[in-house]
Amino acid sequence: MEYGIRVTDTSELPSDPRTICPVEWREILPPGQIQAIYFGTEFCETLLPDFESAEELCRFSHDSGLDAVMLTPIVTGKGLGQLDHLLDQLTAVGWIPEVVFNDWGVLNLLQQRYPALPRRSGRLINRGLRDPRVFESRPTVESSLTDRGQRIRSMLAKSGVSALETDPDLEGSFLGNGSDGMERVLYFPYVFVASSRNCLIKADGAKTLDDCFTKGLGSNCNRNCQGRWHQVHRDDTSGPLWRAGNTLFYEIPRSFAEKHLLQADRVVLFERPTP
Amino acid sequence: MNILAPLRSSSEVADLIAAGADEFFCGLTPPGWEERFSGIWANRRAPLSAGVADLADFERILVSIAGRPVFVALNAPFYPPGAVEMLARFGAQLLKMGVAGLIVADMELILDLVKAGFASRIHVSSLATCVNAGAASFYRDLGVSRIILPRHLTLAEIESIIIPGVEFETFLLNDGCVFEEGLCATTHAAGSFCTKDGHETEGVSAETLEHYAFWKWTLNHCGCRTGNGYPLGPCGLCAVPRLMQAGITSFKVVGREASLERKEHSVRIAALALRMARNGGTPSGIREAVIKLRGSAGMCIERHLCYYPDVWDNPSNKSLPC
Repeated sequence: MEYGIRVTDTSELPSDPRTICPVEWREILPPGQIQAIYFGTEFCETLLPDFESAEELCRFSHDSGLDAVMLTPIVTGKGLGQLDHLLDQLTAVGWIPEVVFNDWGVLNLLQQRYPALPRRSGRLINRGLRDPRVFESRPTVESSLTDRGQRIRSMLAKSGVSALETDPDLEGSFLGNGSDGMERVLYFPYVFVASSRNCLIKADGAKTLDDCFTKGLGSNCNRNCQGRWHQVHRDDTSGPLWRAGNTLFYEIPRSFAEKHLLQADRVVLFERPTP
Repeated sequence: MNILAPLRSSSEVADLIAAGADEFFCGLTPPGWEERFSGIWANRRAPLSAGVADLADFERILVSIAGRPVFVALNAPFYPPGAVEMLARFGAQLLKMGVAGLIVADMELILDLVKAGFASRIHVSSLATCVNAGAASFYRDLGVSRIILPRHLTLAEIESIIIPGVEFETFLLNDGCVFEEGLCATTHAAGSFCTKDGHETEGVSAETLEHYAFWKWTLNHCGCRTGNGYPLGPCGLCAVPRLMQAGITSFKVVGREASLERKEHSVRIAALALRMARNGGTPSGIREAVIKLRGSAGMCIERHLCYYPDVWDNPSNKSLPC
């Protein structure tokens, strides 16, 4: 198994990638080496890195002998422009990060403006169910079913996409059997549950009510989520739920993870829930 | 520009046409679905409480709509293995019966319908989360006829998405969503996940959680209707002139599962706003008329219900005659 690690800074990499996970997870993850460093954001365009940060992480990856993979979220027109500018700057100085897209507009941008950048399909392309209440009532996954997602995989392969990435969903067959030639990548141990532009954490740092929720959609973000993640308790869910920025995450039962692993060529490990 | 009204039964059609509905949407579950996919919904809403009961009643709808288009929602965010094939066949049957279009979110189903030659009859659901012009181009290049924009966009963002060659639809009235609906990987079949969200979040201030609870309350129609019988939920009526100017084709009144009374009131007030906008009405003028009809002026003036509160960002729109 090869590994990717989601980083937020350029601190020292572990010699064994599994050590960034909670101890219980190390038992089910096979040994392997880190192949890629993941950075960027999957859920919030406000958190797209600036050029200096992105370049630093590209350099860090290069100096570590690893692939640089930049995560990108669903973006408005403003975010798409910002991403275009960032990629323009990075490629102008010679960096060629692989780019994970979660938005068809970003795929369009990559195809038209940055055909040299390897493109990877992100977890939000897979809209499968990840309801923690259902995870807890349905403790198995039918990983042998491989026809779900076949049309999407075919379209992505024809679009020059090199990898299909997802977190484990309840159906368990989105990554397919690998016959389409795309690398299959799983994210552990946090699945996303729900995400919103009406960010509770942004509201928690807002100066006025007009900067909160619907009224605050157009107002600048205070980046109040940086370095914070919050445990969420619910009486209908016993497993660990977390809020990081604008997104809720759930640490899935390990029995689910084990079955999904059979379909993965790479595992990307997240030290903590990250938007 | 049309008012798009929700339907659950043929018995609702005449009243909604009288209230001002130009086009309709509804949910319908294929015969045999429940036996094969028990507990999974064929569209985003519960079949029993929000869907048309059966094909027989749907045929009555087609007879009674008097030439107006009706669209059928097959818009669950994903489907289990085997379901796409069944829905594609059902969709083809519906189109043959006279349905004007299919509202679809799942990319597998979209691709299957495109391959079958039905691209021009697809409305891309708001659950597909199309929020930029590049994504709109992607769907237009597939050949779809309409893109339904998700709820949580500013007017400026909507204006930046509009491209030629495809129609756009926006939310106008009712039924907010706490999360981005297309990015909510939970199912309403297990109960509404978001209603319990927030209050047990560690490290967030009590004041913020109180504001969050209030905002969620407004999304759920403030738990009531006004004394004049109108729903008191998310509303974009004052933004109609700007949305019209941006090129929006269809204005959606949400709530298939609602009572006929709520649907009728909603369509009537939406039609009023559209009529005023067509005649040169301003956001302020529309707001004044809406308050007169609906009541609850405070909720409007404080922008608590606004789908598009930035309509008031232009100072010239903020004056409200008392």
